[in-house]
Amino acid sequence: MYLTKQFTLLVLLLCISIAAAAQLRVTGKVSDASGNPVPGVTVRLQQTNRGTVTDAQGRYSIEAPGGSTLIFSYTGYKTQNLVASGSTLDVTLTEDYANLDEVVITGLATSVKRSNLANAVATISAKQLYGVAPAPTFDAALSGKIPGAMITASSGAPGGGISVKMRGVTSIFSNSQPLYVVDGVFISNISVPAGLNLITGAATAGNPQNQDNPSSRVADINPDDIENIEILKGASAAAIYGSKAAAGVILITTKKGTSLGRTIVRARQDIGFAKARKLLGVRRFTEQTAFERGGATERDMFIAARNAGKLYDYEEEMYGETGLVSNTNVSVNGGTERTGMYFSANRKSEEGIVKNSGYLNNSVRMNIDHQLNDRISLALRATYMNTSADRGLTNNDNNSVTYGVSLATIPEYLDLHPDALGNYPVNPAAANPLETRDKMRNNETTNRVITGGEVKATLHSNDRTNTRLIVRGGIDFFNLKTEAIFPRTLQFMKGQLNGASIQGNTNNLNTNLAGILVNSFAPNPNLNFTTSLGATLETNYLDHILSIATNLIPDQNNVDQAASSQLQQFRQKYRDNGIFIQEEVLLMDAITLSAGVRFDRSTNNGDYKKYYVLPKAAASWNLAKMDFWNIQSINSFKVRAAYGQAGNVAPYGAKFLALTASNIGGQPGSFVDNQFGNPDIEQERQTELEAGLDVSFFNGRLSLEATYYNKKIYDLLLRRNVPSSSGFTQQWVNGGDLQNKGVEIGIGAIPVNSKNFRWNTQLNFWKNTSEVTKLTIPAFPLGAFGNTLGNFFIEEGKSATQIIGTLGGNKGVGVLGNSEPDFQLSFYNDVTFLTNFSLRVMLHWKKGGDNINLTQYLSDIFQTSFDYDDDKNGNGVKDGVDRMNAAGNRDASVRVQDASYVRIREIGLYYNIPIPKNNVISAVNVGISANNWFTWTDYVSYDPESSNFGSNTISTATARGSNGISTGVEVTPFPASKRAMFHLGVTF
Amino acid sequence: MKQHSILLFSAMMLGLGACQKGEIPNLNTPVADQIIANGSKEQIDNLAVAMESGMRFTLNTYFDAIGLQGREIYRFSGSEPRYTQELMGGTGLDNNTFYTTNPWASRYRVVRQANTLIDAVNASTRLSANEKKGYLGYAKTIMAYQLLITLNMQYTNGIRTDVKDPNNLGPIKGYPESLADIAALLDEGKTELTGSEITFPVSIVADVTPLKLLRFNRALAARVAVYRQQWAAALTALNESFFDLNGPLYNGYVHIFSANSGDILNPVFLPQNNAGEQRLAHPSYAAQIAAGDDRLAKASLRSAAASLDGLVSNRDVWIHTSNTAPIYIIRNEELVLIYAEAKIQLNQIPDAIVALNVIRTKHNLPVYAGVITPAALITEMLNQRRYSLFAEGHRWIDMRRYNRLNQLPNDRPQDKVWDKFPIPLPETNQ
Repeated sequence: MYLTKQFTLLVLLLCISIAAAAQLRVTGKVSDASGNPVPGVTVRLQQTNRGTVTDAQGRYSIEAPGGSTLIFSYTGYKTQNLVASGSTLDVTLTEDYANLDEVVITGLATSVKRSNLANAVATISAKQLYGVAPAPTFDAALSGKIPGAMITASSGAPGGGISVKMRGVTSIFSNSQPLYVVDGVFISNISVPAGLNLITGAATAGNPQNQDNPSSRVADINPDDIENIEILKGASAAAIYGSKAAAGVILITTKKGTSLGRTIVRARQDIGFAKARKLLGVRRFTEQTAFERGGATERDMFIAARNAGKLYDYEEEMYGETGLVSNTNVSVNGGTERTGMYFSANRKSEEGIVKNSGYLNNSVRMNIDHQLNDRISLALRATYMNTSADRGLTNNDNNSVTYGVSLATIPEYLDLHPDALGNYPVNPAAANPLETRDKMRNNETTNRVITGGEVKATLHSNDRTNTRLIVRGGIDFFNLKTEAIFPRTLQFMKGQLNGASIQGNTNNLNTNLAGILVNSFAPNPNLNFTTSLGATLETNYLDHILSIATNLIPDQNNVDQAASSQLQQFRQKYRDNGIFIQEEVLLMDAITLSAGVRFDRSTNNGDYKKYYVLPKAAASWNLAKMDFWNIQSINSFKVRAAYGQAGNVAPYGAKFLALTASNIGGQPGSFVDNQFGNPDIEQERQTELEAGLDVSFFNGRLSLEATYYNKKIYDLLLRRNVPSSSGFTQQWVNGGDLQNKGVEIGIGAIPVNSKNFRWNTQLNFWKNTSEVTKLTIPAFPLGAFGNTLGNFFIEEGKSATQIIGTLGGNKGVGVLGNSEPDFQLSFYNDVTFLTNFSLRVMLHWKKGGDNINLTQYLSDIFQTSFDYDDDKNGNGVKDGVDRMNAAGNRDASVRVQDASYVRIREIGLYYNIPIPKNNVISAVNVGISANNWFTWTDYVSYDPESSNFGSNTISTATARGSNGISTGVEVTPFPASKRAMFHLGVTF
Repeated sequence: MKQHSILLFSAMMLGLGACQKGEIPNLNTPVADQIIANGSKEQIDNLAVAMESGMRFTLNTYFDAIGLQGREIYRFSGSEPRYTQELMGGTGLDNNTFYTTNPWASRYRVVRQANTLIDAVNASTRLSANEKKGYLGYAKTIMAYQLLITLNMQYTNGIRTDVKDPNNLGPIKGYPESLADIAALLDEGKTELTGSEITFPVSIVADVTPLKLLRFNRALAARVAVYRQQWAAALTALNESFFDLNGPLYNGYVHIFSANSGDILNPVFLPQNNAGEQRLAHPSYAAQIAAGDDRLAKASLRSAAASLDGLVSNRDVWIHTSNTAPIYIIRNEELVLIYAEAKIQLNQIPDAIVALNVIRTKHNLPVYAGVITPAALITEMLNQRRYSLFAEGHRWIDMRRYNRLNQLPNDRPQDKVWDKFPIPLPETNQ
């Protein structure tokens, strides 16, 4: 047997060389149904890595052994397999309206056609992501585009901050944000606070959670480089990613060079402006109302100000700026038959709607693909990003210093403008926000490199089987410098900290390495086995140093230019590794069966050596591909079901009882942490069962995708409140189970498809309901500021996102709302008309879902709310007084408000300028677009999307990070902005 | 088949070969278990330092909460409306918000630290018996003090006095029982400190000696004794304390502050004429003070009155004059007044009057000329305590001790003086 095998191999090798000698050149032209050439079609020799791409005239040329099969594939068209019998082979491709031939990644190194897919995997194309009305950052560009996801902007500040929750809350305290994988590199999406808490004291009283609201690091990525995004929403699809996949996986593929034979250079310039989405206005006083607010003193102030024409709209002054937005992109795409190269350079700059705020993102990318020989190919991906965000000082605080809290205290008749000498008047009730804005600085600067490589080697192949080895590795390194500078002349610095310079330096390194062996075996054309086996390793090292200098030398920011200083450092390290095996079977190109199992361990678990077993299985049956199928109008009818498990590792440090630094008298001290260590902590386990039906009618002109899922999370990682008389306030425990059930329905259609008018539409509906099915610890509140202001409450048998609060008087506490929407709906339309015009619109409707609105509360307290004097309920009492009476009566219900909205997320009109044929410019494209410009909502504040707590702020030794629940708590946020842009694109 | 095995093997090697080995330890801090098991003397000293450091956490919340109840202060804050609302009346105090949970948790964290220190000291093989007594006596004294100020807020709702085992906490005991436990703990501390050796850093007093800590312990014991109405015991404790009838009133024991790394600034400090965050003297303080009383300086006149929510005051609380000024734990002025109180209650009126006059004359007032009855003298004593210990956390407790909370002023119709704070929710919700 042994000898025979060796002999076979030898013969095989010989055959290959003989075949090579006998190759002939096949040429041809690829065109579409109406006879137009299709450039960019991949032409590949079956069972090899050899291939080419059609040129601008749709022509190709490839060396192929006579009688071999060529595969023609191109996004948006049905793939065709044709036998090359002569030296010429012309091909006509037909459009794949329902994307049934689109290839979807289902394993770490395997993929299947959408028509055989057993999961609901959402795909976002480059056009949908960034081709309608470009969002400020990559993460903001996802808003409304992922069916099943709840995407919320945490901050309107430049640089953003986005929370993405797929299929409901997947973890209450631990990570609930998806894993982002860019070209196989596991990238970091942490948010690192800038140490603003020292100034704001936000986390010192009502809620110990950090409220600096930093931007998410995934925002660094340049969306212009992205070719497409696949979203694995839950464990059934993402189980192969193991213990990092519980909150879903977002797989990002960047553009790669194609060997078109001709190098294409694209240049794009977007220019536009940003404005606040909504300004509320300020309370307009009268002599009477000024008197009611502050007696004769304030009435006289009002009269004096009015007579001098000095009544001000401070909200307009603070938030009313128009910011210039500019985005410049140049990309080069080219290559030869064996090497593809993609290069891009991008510069994005954006001024905020508040003076001295803004965002800058510079990035370069180089992607190289190289075919070493017929058997081995290499891919290299490298990108460098430099981003800078000036984010001002907003959100909650306990020291009356942030813009919003200050504004809430200011009546229109108080003059806070600097005098001729530059002296700012004192705001007696808080800080002078004009002074704060003009003098302070809160900057985040990132320098980041993400680079990865992949080697694919075909170890052996014949006409029935081939085995490939894929080795993939990558690193994501960033340095984040945060700088929060508060000069000593600031009103709230005088006599207190006397100036503060808080400088943070964070280095984060993620590495990942995977080796995967994939065997395809097709004993006959109707049976296909794909076996994968692999091992993965991911490591992380984060080192965060915060230097705090106070009592500063005037105009100096260096931390040594100060009379006192403090240092903090936080480091974390983990190492996760896994082994997996997966088997996929495809029968008659109609039935897919797959099963796999992954073994995972992590140094963050109590027992770092323990492997957790995470299985998965899936099946789908496309009845329309069966011989008995005879309904012509339905060309795909697929039933599918998938099951999988994923995990969520325990937070770093959960197993220790740490001793934190606490010094006095110049002596170092070690103080027991208030978090009780739990050496038995385990990871959360998620199981997800998903079932669905995908139908495609009329050759794909109409398609329906319906999915039901039931996702259960066991051993919830909960930060239990322990009786604080133990000396501890919290402890990580595995304390309950959570369930999310939901449906996702997508309808795609091309109602009109004529030469002059083509309308492509996609409607998505999704809904999720959660329930805490088991809780082994007592029900507990979290996520906001106590019952009198409305709070989340985790309780067995109830929704995980319910909001409770005091009901007023002696009525106790009851349910006041839920932050989870009743449903969400997105509606995307792409209309092409008169050949060269294209109109794209994305509408997003979120129905239901409540916010805790404390911005209004703060304005009410200081009697400055814009609607204070209204009487909408007609009870003869001013609304502001009504609300304060409710507060006095401990009625929290007025603070919990419906945050439904209908929003035109993106709308854009583009025109391809017809240009005479020439050798320099091949296309010119212009467009106008508006991003988040139109919103309809009854929610009474800047924007229904808001979160005081950020989404993935890291926990350090001294600060508690974000949890999975508390989006929708609003405390004087940085107002969200909208943008209008003009676009010009030139292709050379 | 062999090739497959080779390939498989190499793939596995590639994946697994890169694995590092071993557990990743805590990179940021020491871990408690290791020090308890066998800590060095330096590590145990670090526990003692942090025990003292931790006593200062959230003291602002404590002083504000009880200063508001005692109608000594107003606390105005742009972002925290509860200072002027539920903390001064309305419909009730919240059992799960900062003013209830933070002081409780901060004090019990120090108690946990003291227990950790005691465990580490008892387990240590590197300390002498007398050295151990020093740590234990100090730890028990601090623990008793932390329990006492927790009980001050909770009053008849009570506290847990036995929290040694975090997984098996003792019961919540009533007010008298809790006070008795605190007194017993102070007595244990006294026993340990007697004949002890102090070989670790202490900052509540300069140039620490066992005797100085013993006197601190007994001063606290005197305070507990008057709370328990054990007047003779109070005098006994005073005699063993640093009580000095004619000594400087500000002799005492303090929390110190600095801007050094890992240290904190005085959390109760706010500058004069501050905007935004304000801690103001209740208007009655200046309105009712006797003419010429130098204690008026503790409520300095603002350049402009501050008002919020229908409350107005034109004076700042000015007992901490910088952000590194100390906060007194206990000082001689209180001891003199404890002496006076015990003497009145024991009907040793002349001694009491002598003590009251010490306070009066030191504050630029004439000697006491009022009615000489125990009742009148109690009123006088309470009045002297009001001004001498202004904003130091006594007024509310004193008025409560003498059932006079109804004499505290309510400025607005909905205002009400609460007599106790609720037990924090996490304590009962288990």
